[in-house]
Amino acid sequence: MLIIACVKQVPDTSDVKVDSATGTLVREGVPAVMNPFDQFALEEGVRLRDAAGEGAEIVALSMGPPQARSALMKALALGADRAILLTDRAFAGADTWATSYTLARAVGALGKIDLIMCGLQAVDGDTAQTGPEMAQHLRLPQVTYAERVTLDGKTLTVKRQTDTGYEIVEVRMPALLTCTPPADFVPSTPPFSAIIKAKKKPYEEWGAEKINTDADKLGLKGSPTQVKRVFSPPKRGQGVMLEGNSAAAVAGELFQVLAKGGVL
Amino acid sequence: MITYEFSEEQEMLRQSVREWAAKNLTPRVQEMEKNKEIPPDLIKSMAKMELLCPTVDPEYGGSGFDAVTAGIVGEELGRADYTASVPVFYLVQASWAHVFDKYGTRECKLKHIPPATKGDAFIGIATTEPGIGSDLANMVTTITPNGDKYVVNGEKNYISGVREVKQYGGGHVTLARQNLRAGTRGMTMFFLPLGLPGIDITEDEEMGREAISTGGFHISNVEIPKENIIGKEEKGFYIVHEGYEFARAIIACVCCGAAMKSLENGIKYIKERNAFGRAIAKYEGIQFPLAEHYTRISMLRDFTYKALHMIDLEQEGKASRMEVSKTVAMVKMFCATWAMQAIDDVMQWQGAFGYNKECPDQAAYRAVRSFTLAEGSKEIMKTIVARELLGKEFITYR
Amino acid sequence: MITLAAEKCIGCVKCVKACPFGVIVMKGKKAVIGDGCTLCGACEQICPVSAITIERAMKDIDLTQYSGVWVVAETEGSQRVKNFTFELLGKGRELTDILGQSVSCILLGNDVAKFADTLIHHGADSVFIGESEALSRYRAEAFAPVITGLISRYKPCIVLFGATHAGRDLAPRVAASLELGLTADCTGLSILDGLLLQTRPAFGGNIMADIICPYTRPQMATVRPNVMKKMEPDAKRAGEKITVPVKIDASSFRIVLKEILDSPQTGKVKIDEADIIVSGGRGVCTNGGFALLEELAGVLGGVVGCSRVAVDLGCRPKSVQVGQSGTTVSPKLYVAVGISGSIQHQVGMKSSDTIVAINNDPAAPIFQVADFGIIGDYRAIIPALVVEVKKNRGG
Repeated sequence: MLIIACVKQVPDTSDVKVDSATGTLVREGVPAVMNPFDQFALEEGVRLRDAAGEGAEIVALSMGPPQARSALMKALALGADRAILLTDRAFAGADTWATSYTLARAVGALGKIDLIMCGLQAVDGDTAQTGPEMAQHLRLPQVTYAERVTLDGKTLTVKRQTDTGYEIVEVRMPALLTCTPPADFVPSTPPFSAIIKAKKKPYEEWGAEKINTDADKLGLKGSPTQVKRVFSPPKRGQGVMLEGNSAAAVAGELFQVLAKGGVL
Repeated sequence: MITYEFSEEQEMLRQSVREWAAKNLTPRVQEMEKNKEIPPDLIKSMAKMELLCPTVDPEYGGSGFDAVTAGIVGEELGRADYTASVPVFYLVQASWAHVFDKYGTRECKLKHIPPATKGDAFIGIATTEPGIGSDLANMVTTITPNGDKYVVNGEKNYISGVREVKQYGGGHVTLARQNLRAGTRGMTMFFLPLGLPGIDITEDEEMGREAISTGGFHISNVEIPKENIIGKEEKGFYIVHEGYEFARAIIACVCCGAAMKSLENGIKYIKERNAFGRAIAKYEGIQFPLAEHYTRISMLRDFTYKALHMIDLEQEGKASRMEVSKTVAMVKMFCATWAMQAIDDVMQWQGAFGYNKECPDQAAYRAVRSFTLAEGSKEIMKTIVARELLGKEFITYR
Repeated sequence: MITLAAEKCIGCVKCVKACPFGVIVMKGKKAVIGDGCTLCGACEQICPVSAITIERAMKDIDLTQYSGVWVVAETEGSQRVKNFTFELLGKGRELTDILGQSVSCILLGNDVAKFADTLIHHGADSVFIGESEALSRYRAEAFAPVITGLISRYKPCIVLFGATHAGRDLAPRVAASLELGLTADCTGLSILDGLLLQTRPAFGGNIMADIICPYTRPQMATVRPNVMKKMEPDAKRAGEKITVPVKIDASSFRIVLKEILDSPQTGKVKIDEADIIVSGGRGVCTNGGFALLEELAGVLGGVVGCSRVAVDLGCRPKSVQVGQSGTTVSPKLYVAVGISGSIQHQVGMKSSDTIVAINNDPAAPIFQVADFGIIGDYRAIIPALVVEVKKNRGG
């Protein structure tokens, strides 16, 4: 069984701010981390590989600048058997369509695969589009919002979130899953021995020439969407802290301000 | 010139420890301080991360870290646990397991190190006695051969981890006099499991780092087997310094981590806090000390890793004992003081909150204060450096 | 352009079953694609021997042949139309009034034709109705080919989906097959120089971005529920109803639904449609405090919501979870009780008109988005507030 786990290196979003003067993104000094959704998908993938037993393999795949190596090294430390970084100037500036196209082509170059594990979305873009678009490019069935996956032979049973709760679906591989961690998921932190092992595992960097692509469909050139402007979200007015001497007093105060504002 | 750079593995380990600590350690520090205990599951989790006794040979459950890598872990733990309890647990055990692993007997190591690496026991150090700290020659604890056993008598105090050993098991790397006429030259190092009959433990209250215990124990006619002797009989004084130097360098890492973390807290605060119509970060009265502290701690940090690197070089025979002693002493001389000064200012910037028990920085301040004393006072560090500069004939205490 | 390589066809009949429009027939053990093919791609995907290929000439297309704003409706089975559909119709009206085009609604489901009138009353000029047993519950395999086919055939200029779980599953599938751009989770839509200007949050809401799709049509976006304003329904509005013949054989689907674990709805008003929401988090859950919140919601005429933690701790159903992985709400009043206010939670409630936060942790991020904050124990404050409301309302 061959599993592909797609991972993205993202800035730690909690630290990203917009420079209010210039309206540009301040990424300086913001640590890069593996997208948390992807880490969950990868760890699930590793678990499925182990469940599948002998001969099963999981390949971590990423697209990004050369620094994205560190996300893949972490993927190897978390149990991936092999890692491939798609890195090429031609890939730069890709939107979800061009990204999913490039990733799909790289998957195509890996031969017959059984399962693609993606994070539901990346915390920088929050689009949740790359996974399903990849599935479409590869003509694979997709199961999005997957929280729990079990494997029985060639069939996956997936518990997935819906708008009204959950549903359990079955899908025969090959398939693509986009995963979202349940709140009790604690991401693993690889111990030293896993890190040492990771360094010994195969790691490759592939440029555009390694995968069969149409140059017009890569990077910025291949992206139907364009970012016209990035700006700070409008600020809410400064909030007011209510500080009464007692619960009754503060409740009274709150009622008054809400009534005055026409809310109640 | 000695140069070093962190390997990719070391950077990955740092990141991994940082993420582990952010999830598993920092959120529990307040609870730990209140309960005066490091939760057993946290120690287990450290074991899973392979952070316990990390330099020890894998045969005994260690990871075979070098000193620099052990220092990285110390720095990260120092950042994450502002009470420095877990860092102390880590560094005391790491340092003395390091010496134990290097000089102990196979039987004794097989029996006592693996439980410690698994998080089921603690390994500490016991040299200090009532009335003697750095002046080891006046020690009263004795070890006497008796057939194929040895008998230990005496008293130790200000010892880290006595309760932990009582609770989980383990023991202390201990120093005692064997040849009573020979002073420091007649001392023997051995492993003393504190669960043995004849050992009475008492606990002390300390100013900070409250989740790890400190205390003392009376030793009356305690028998230990020969295999517990670490290194050669009557040569304990020579190897005890290896453990001290290792511990001192990691203490400096912990101080750097704690101080940098505190400065980061401070930077965040002074940018947001307004006084007289602007952020207080706008005032030079804030900026200048910030710049000075950052510079001092950055220089300290660089030199600390150099010291650790020299410890590693010494293992390969590429650095001398004396060079290592001196470099480590230079680092240890200032690490706690500079870290305290930095944290002190961060507390000051925060006004009354800086003195509030809820403020992590005051806990860091109390914790770091201990390191001007622990594992060799800053004054002793000065005598070491002076000794190396002036020659042995100028040693004060001779 | 679709081609079927007869020499490759093995006559497995999978494409015949998969075609949502029923235009593939078997002739002498080989599949043949008949008239009425919409290029939806369902057959291409299912074909085990890659005998079917679709080439889409998306380059140098004539953009002017694309016209109209489409809204893809979502329903709760045959119960009701989801509220966001009306919001998008309202927005669509606004956009088409600038563009001088018309608004259409795509209504797929089983027994849903009855909703066509109300969609027209809410702004649709025409409604495409596709009904099939296989469309009774949302699934990408059924919905994506139908919508892809309709877009291929009718060439709208703009297609809007709800940024719901279903919409975010469906829209990228359609976008990828038509080689189109897609902008996720829009919170603002407007027309700039004839183009759809799509405004969306990124980095967990820390920044906003304006996105355009200048060279491809239709321009597609998923849009957050509860952000756009629906228009006042006008019962006099008339519109066209177009029935789309849909023939889907669900037996060809690769994903099989085994079990539905829907959370029971609490209360009558749905969380995303309530004017007042009293929401509780971890702090409330661990102390069994939701009864107090129910009481407050009761006297205020609102509903009780919760954060993700409350769902995971098992004390509230998923259906009332507010936040990125739950429901986006924008009530007139949102009272966050014992909710620290993670970015993920904030994303789901930040656009509420008024936010009140009650928390005993002064450092809780929720206070940064609150209009009114109270630091203290909700167990004392909520009952006091209930008393206050009753007193002032003479109840």
